[in-house]
Amino acid sequence: MKLKKFAASALAAGMATFALAGCQTAGTSGSEETAEGQTITQEAVEGAAQLELWTFVELHGEFYTTMAEKWNEENPDKKVQITVNVLPYDDMHNKLQIALTSGEGAPDIADIEVGKFPQFVQGTPALMDLTEYAAPYADDIVKARMDLYTKDGSLYGLGFHVGATVAFYNTEMLEGAGIDYTTIKTWDDYQEAGSKYYDATGKYFGTVDTSAAWQEGLLLAQLGGEYFAEDGSPALNSPEMVEALTILKDLQNANAVSVPPGGQPDTDEARAAYNNGDYAAAIMPFWFTGRYLAYMPEFSGKIAIAAPPTVDNPVNTSVGGGGTGTAVVAGGENAEVAAEFASWAKLSYEGNVETWNMLGFDPLNTSVWHDETITNNPDNQFVQYFQNNPFEPLLAIEGSIGNLDSFTNPAMPSVNNLINTQTLNDIFENDVPIQEALDQAQSDLENELG
Amino acid sequence: MSQTLTPPKSAKRVMSNEGKAAKRRVRLNSWLMYIVMAVIGLIVLVPFWANFLATFQEGRMIITGGLNLGIDLAQASLDNWVMLFTDSGMYFTWFANSVFITVAQVIATLAVSAFVAYGFAMYEFRGKTALFIVVLLLMSVPFEMMMLPLYIQINDFGLQDTYTAIIIPFMANAVTILFFRQFLRGIPREIVEAGRIDGVSEFGIFFRLVFPLMKPAFGAMAILTGMMSWNNFLWPLLALRSSEKYTLPIGLNTLLTPYGNNYDLLLVGSFFSMIPIFILFLAFQRFFIEGMTAGAVKG
Amino acid sequence: MRKLLYSPKIAPYIFVLPFILTVLIFWVSPLYKAGVMSTQKIIPGSVENVGLANYDRLFGDRLFWVALRNSLTYMIGTLLILIPGPMLLAVLINSKLGSERLKAVFKSVMFIPALTSVVVAGIVFKLIFSESETALMNQIIGAFGLDPIKWLKTQAGGFFALYILAAWRWTGVNILYFLAGLQAIPNDYYEAASIDGASSWQKFWHVTVPSLKPTIVFVLTISVYGGLAMFLESYMLYGGNNSPQNIGLTIVGYLYRQGIERNDLGYASAVGVVLLLLVLAINIPQLIATGTFKKEQH
Repeated sequence: MKLKKFAASALAAGMATFALAGCQTAGTSGSEETAEGQTITQEAVEGAAQLELWTFVELHGEFYTTMAEKWNEENPDKKVQITVNVLPYDDMHNKLQIALTSGEGAPDIADIEVGKFPQFVQGTPALMDLTEYAAPYADDIVKARMDLYTKDGSLYGLGFHVGATVAFYNTEMLEGAGIDYTTIKTWDDYQEAGSKYYDATGKYFGTVDTSAAWQEGLLLAQLGGEYFAEDGSPALNSPEMVEALTILKDLQNANAVSVPPGGQPDTDEARAAYNNGDYAAAIMPFWFTGRYLAYMPEFSGKIAIAAPPTVDNPVNTSVGGGGTGTAVVAGGENAEVAAEFASWAKLSYEGNVETWNMLGFDPLNTSVWHDETITNNPDNQFVQYFQNNPFEPLLAIEGSIGNLDSFTNPAMPSVNNLINTQTLNDIFENDVPIQEALDQAQSDLENELG
Repeated sequence: MSQTLTPPKSAKRVMSNEGKAAKRRVRLNSWLMYIVMAVIGLIVLVPFWANFLATFQEGRMIITGGLNLGIDLAQASLDNWVMLFTDSGMYFTWFANSVFITVAQVIATLAVSAFVAYGFAMYEFRGKTALFIVVLLLMSVPFEMMMLPLYIQINDFGLQDTYTAIIIPFMANAVTILFFRQFLRGIPREIVEAGRIDGVSEFGIFFRLVFPLMKPAFGAMAILTGMMSWNNFLWPLLALRSSEKYTLPIGLNTLLTPYGNNYDLLLVGSFFSMIPIFILFLAFQRFFIEGMTAGAVKG
Repeated sequence: MRKLLYSPKIAPYIFVLPFILTVLIFWVSPLYKAGVMSTQKIIPGSVENVGLANYDRLFGDRLFWVALRNSLTYMIGTLLILIPGPMLLAVLINSKLGSERLKAVFKSVMFIPALTSVVVAGIVFKLIFSESETALMNQIIGAFGLDPIKWLKTQAGGFFALYILAAWRWTGVNILYFLAGLQAIPNDYYEAASIDGASSWQKFWHVTVPSLKPTIVFVLTISVYGGLAMFLESYMLYGGNNSPQNIGLTIVGYLYRQGIERNDLGYASAVGVVLLLLVLAINIPQLIATGTFKKEQH
């Protein structure tokens, strides 16, 4: 009985605390409340169009609110006020899908990851055609990266970056093993360096991934392959796929690389492993710069960026990897101003400078790449962090950054899912022969697509 | 017993020896049982303890290194707890939402189920068997399979992003109806007859005479329904869209993203979310366990 | 009006009316729609009737069979864990052995996990089964000199974690169900068995188990459903619906993947219909065999 009384009063006290805390949270709003990354609300703007924006990366949210403030200064007649909802990757895409399907509850603007994009433009897209809004900027933008979000000649998403796949090396750790990263040009060099590194340190040089296919995409571009045949049907067991995976499997067999915790470098587990000094190299799209800055501050001044290793006579040296298409939902009350704002934020020169400055992306507007006041700005956090200038490798490969057409195929989300859950695990965790794993993937996909 | 032939004195001694042996055996068995229970009980508590220790450590380290039962006291701090109460964003909003939805769901489900169960338990009417089979079959319908059409329907009714949409579909709960019906069958019919003789309406009998007698059954079902509602994830995830309306499980899940920096709050928030439920359960457990037994599921 | 309130003929229909309405609006209608959708190909902006093509595709889809196998394995595994174990523990608690107070503490401790949300429990178990060598499960096997295991990346390890999670969360609840059943068994049954010279084991087997039949049926019914419809446990353990090699893919997970992640509503509805048929196919014969349906007739 005593316990019951005690418990009841403790509960009452607890409830009172919640009520108080609830009031406090309700009372504070504004852009400083970003610590938990749920909602980022811009300062109240009088007479502004209210825009709701969904994204899955907290930093993107901050980029948009910054851009909105600049936009409002330049366009006092078309002010916007943005409320950003940051949701986990899966949840955000799923909720958006449902909202668009049912025609209820969608935001005004949404970030859609490139791997998910094709299914959002199936049938009659519920997204707005942005072609007209992007037109003023189109000439300066890498067209191939916009094609990712184009269907039947209409542009439905605005890219963020080129995402050129590059190699990141920890020079301090490489020197310790007597390796000079500038000598790594081909996959054979990479393998040799990796084996040497393993023999010297007992640790793996780089990663081979099971939950993402950055390196497979890179190799396909170098070999001139695709995930689909000319007619759009899946071709997962193509000779190029076999060759790409054989190169990666050889790296693993030579102890040059291993599967990182988390299955790919862009996970919490893998970042911890990198921080721990378990790996010295990463082959990732350029936007991985941001992860170094945010999660591996101790490596400042030690990381060099280089062109990725290639096959002999590559079709392309690098490939655009990843991407986020910013889409505007059609039919919204503020859809027009949303489209104008989003196009400006993502495609204008100012916007592109800001994507580099804030997010460390390789901007879509490649004239920024050549503007030395920006690329060599000593105050820039990324220029400060990396050992060499991040644009040095980009300029070296500029004419040879390919893109996979596969990403626009409606079945690409299924391919991604299959490869990143099943096939790569089969090959790199369970030693299933490459041809067998790919044949299995091909037949699974054919069956799933019906 | 053959001992009856032996002299009484010795018989008494044999008996008492046997009694002692039996007593010893009982005591031994009791200790064995305690050991089994202690071991199982401790294992059950391990996850709570591990989560508790994690609240004093850096979230990122726990996410990458996993949970265990050790703690480096030199590294331990109260930072996460301080953050929970000073800078936890929407955490307490979600908490309050979950509490609200759970309470509303419990009241709605119990009221509707008791009402319906009374109809089944106290009357004979045409179509009763068929309807009862529907109740039983309802236990077999996976909610997930009708989730998508239901979502479209909720939108047609204009109920998207409301708590009504979350609560209503679960008001008619087969398990609760079965349980109440079983309980009501144990209530003497004379009460109903007496009520009728006194000129009380059919509904008056239910609300004024029978309802108060159902108290023990309510206790058990309140906890079961509450558990279900507190846990509900998929449906609220679909039906709610504003983050200020989220429930705690959905909110906590949004903290689990590699593109944010919320693991400190995730671990302390997860642990804290369990405390009020435990207090509630400990306060009412006797009521609850008695209720469960009183209703005894007899099929 | 007065007649309505006082007639024992009309009253029962009013009592069951809320049930009929909710079931019709929120269950029957969406169920019917799901059935219709399962014969359609639904693309934003167009709906096409395709007959049984979705089902045809389903039966050739290896991943659907993986999901089905996983769900069935999980269901059978949880039945094997969650019926005998809790039943024995309930018998122990119900026995005359030991102090009632300590046994009450045990009951409460066992019940507590059921009060935690699966989201919270999933996060905690995911971290206990993490592949790092400092995670609890790897520390435990490390104490026996074994190397760390990537628990969740293997079929056996992943299911082990799922079973442990299920046992942890539901043992206490099932103990209570069985205790309720045990307390309803008249004492004379046991006395009669004692007079016949039955051992404790014989009493358990010939008196306790048969008398618990209704409880067993009830627990079986809800466990079959719970096992086949499992989703959230795997979703939390794997941080999403996509587990390596689809180790944690369940039928509901596949429905979710096709319907929501792929926006293929027609195909997803076909998955849902198959799930419903499966649960019914297991539960109806079971309920008929145990005579549960007949109960209402007298």
